[in-house]
Amino acid sequence: MKILVVEDEKELSESIITYLKAENYLCEVARDYKTALQKIELFDYDCILLDVSLPDGNGLGLLEELKADKKTDGVIIISAKNSIDDRIRGLNTGADDYLVKPFHLSELNARITAVIRRRRFEGNKIIVLHELTIDLAAKTILVNNKIVDLTRKEYDLLLYLAYNKNRVLSKYAIAEHLSGDEEIYNNFDFIYTHMKNLKKKLHQAGCQEYIKSVYGMGYKLEV
Amino acid sequence: MKLLNKTIRPYMIYSLAILLVTIPIFYFVFRSVLLHSVDRSLRTQLHEIRANLFSIRSESELSAWSKLDKDISLTPATGMENDSIYTVERVFYRHHRPDAEPLREISGIIEVGEKKYKLIISSSLVENEDLLGSILAVLSILVVFLIVGLLWINYKISKTVWKPFYVALNNMQQYELNKNTKLPFKDSNTDEFNELNQSIRHLYDKNYQIYLQQKEFTENASHEMQTPLAIFQSKLELLMQTSPLTELQASLIDSLENANQRLIRLNKSLVLLSKIENSQYTTTDDVNLVTITNKIIEQYSMYADQKSLSIRTEFKESVHIKANQTLIEILISNIISNAIRHNIPQGEVFIEIDNSRLIVQNTGVTNSLSPEKIFERFHKENVTDGTDGIGLGLAIAKKICDMYSFKISYRNIESKHLFEILF
Repeated sequence: MKILVVEDEKELSESIITYLKAENYLCEVARDYKTALQKIELFDYDCILLDVSLPDGNGLGLLEELKADKKTDGVIIISAKNSIDDRIRGLNTGADDYLVKPFHLSELNARITAVIRRRRFEGNKIIVLHELTIDLAAKTILVNNKIVDLTRKEYDLLLYLAYNKNRVLSKYAIAEHLSGDEEIYNNFDFIYTHMKNLKKKLHQAGCQEYIKSVYGMGYKLEV
Repeated sequence: MKLLNKTIRPYMIYSLAILLVTIPIFYFVFRSVLLHSVDRSLRTQLHEIRANLFSIRSESELSAWSKLDKDISLTPATGMENDSIYTVERVFYRHHRPDAEPLREISGIIEVGEKKYKLIISSSLVENEDLLGSILAVLSILVVFLIVGLLWINYKISKTVWKPFYVALNNMQQYELNKNTKLPFKDSNTDEFNELNQSIRHLYDKNYQIYLQQKEFTENASHEMQTPLAIFQSKLELLMQTSPLTELQASLIDSLENANQRLIRLNKSLVLLSKIENSQYTTTDDVNLVTITNKIIEQYSMYADQKSLSIRTEFKESVHIKANQTLIEILISNIISNAIRHNIPQGEVFIEIDNSRLIVQNTGVTNSLSPEKIFERFHKENVTDGTDGIGLGLAIAKKICDMYSFKISYRNIESKHLFEILF
């Protein structure tokens, strides 16, 4: 799986690459518009992370080039500007997703996985983790081929953990992922509740305890 | 007082004063000139009579002359008298009027033969006074016309001369900092006004430049801050993945992330606040308050359920306002999220919308809050309820209300917190 990170900030692109390498993604970096343009013309990527503000141009321009060349690379825009205009323009030009800086790496990873899955595995929308199966199309969970009845939030939570399997997810990242844009600051009670219910339901269905709590800092799905 | 009136008033006072002073002066001067001319004519008559007396030979001739000429009277005199001129009031034969009228008379002694007579020549002053009256009347009318004309001309000139000033004034009243409108100024051939216009234009341009710089600074500052925040965030997450991870390390990372999340929220809120202040949300949408409020309640239901809050709503059918959709969403969600966040377990939230009013009422930990200070930036009153907000939510709500001239207020009723927005 090839990923191009178009980001001028070295430290940030290094963090992204370090996080993504553990998923066996092949990552390349372009620090400016020119390099990025050369790379996207020469190679095909499964997903391109595109910073809007580059030292020598606007990332949205790259997106336009890409679409003009009829390339099918998945594109996630990462922007420091939380501007509706930019978001609309980006998505209209054909970006698959839009993420505002600063973001959680786990959130970025989940979005990349979702984009690649949408583009690559047209017929295969299933994630299998031992006895646990996630059906992305039907949005259902099966344990030992039996459907487990989960609420929407519990499903989202499990999927987020699965996308970032074997990683520690901080409770802040989980809260942000579950609540979307709106913020109820530092109230993690709802995460504890959802997590407790999810674990209970999986356990009752005969699933092993893959979800581990990490010292009150976060959670991890270990397989 | 208007500038035009201010300039015209001294002229008017001066003209009236001159008029009031000159008319009596004019009256007396003219009268004395007329009297003087009557006196001269009387003296000439007397002089001519004396010069022609030699032609009168007999007493009968004298009496016939005196009877024919009613302007004179002759009475026999004994001693010598000097000529004298005086004014008397009596009925004058020539005018058929019963009233006494002013007469100017000269009396002198004339000698016919050896006999002396006192001769009195009379001249009526009524004609003179009438003449004086008419002249004064005409003069007064002229003066009135003159003053009115002068005032009118002055007014007209002032209006045209001051026109550029009024245009500039109107221009400045309509000036808005965030819009670089090139409002037209009126060019004038008055140097001062041209300088004024130039100065205002210069001021506008400079203000706008500063405004742009400020705006740019805000945008740049937020961008520049977001990058290190993002780096910090990403490194923390990588740190979390290292192993072995001790409990102490985990707890430190957790604290660091907590602090960083606060910084991120603070930065976001400050950017939002300055964006509102810079009027960067300019589009106006037709906003349905009921739809938006329902959407926000739905978004926050997860948190409300967590606290087992009962949310009660009372909505009149679709209330529409003209405003920016994003801002109204921020406004309402700030108020509702506060009501949920600062609530007690099993508490209540009551949301009411009628024609032009949104009320959010909730139970809470603290008693009454300060209605004056609650909307100030970084004002945090109930730090004890464990929700570490950043103290900008209500300041942002207030800013949005100010922008649209909505009235937002806080009250404490029966130990419930009540926020009211009048649209």
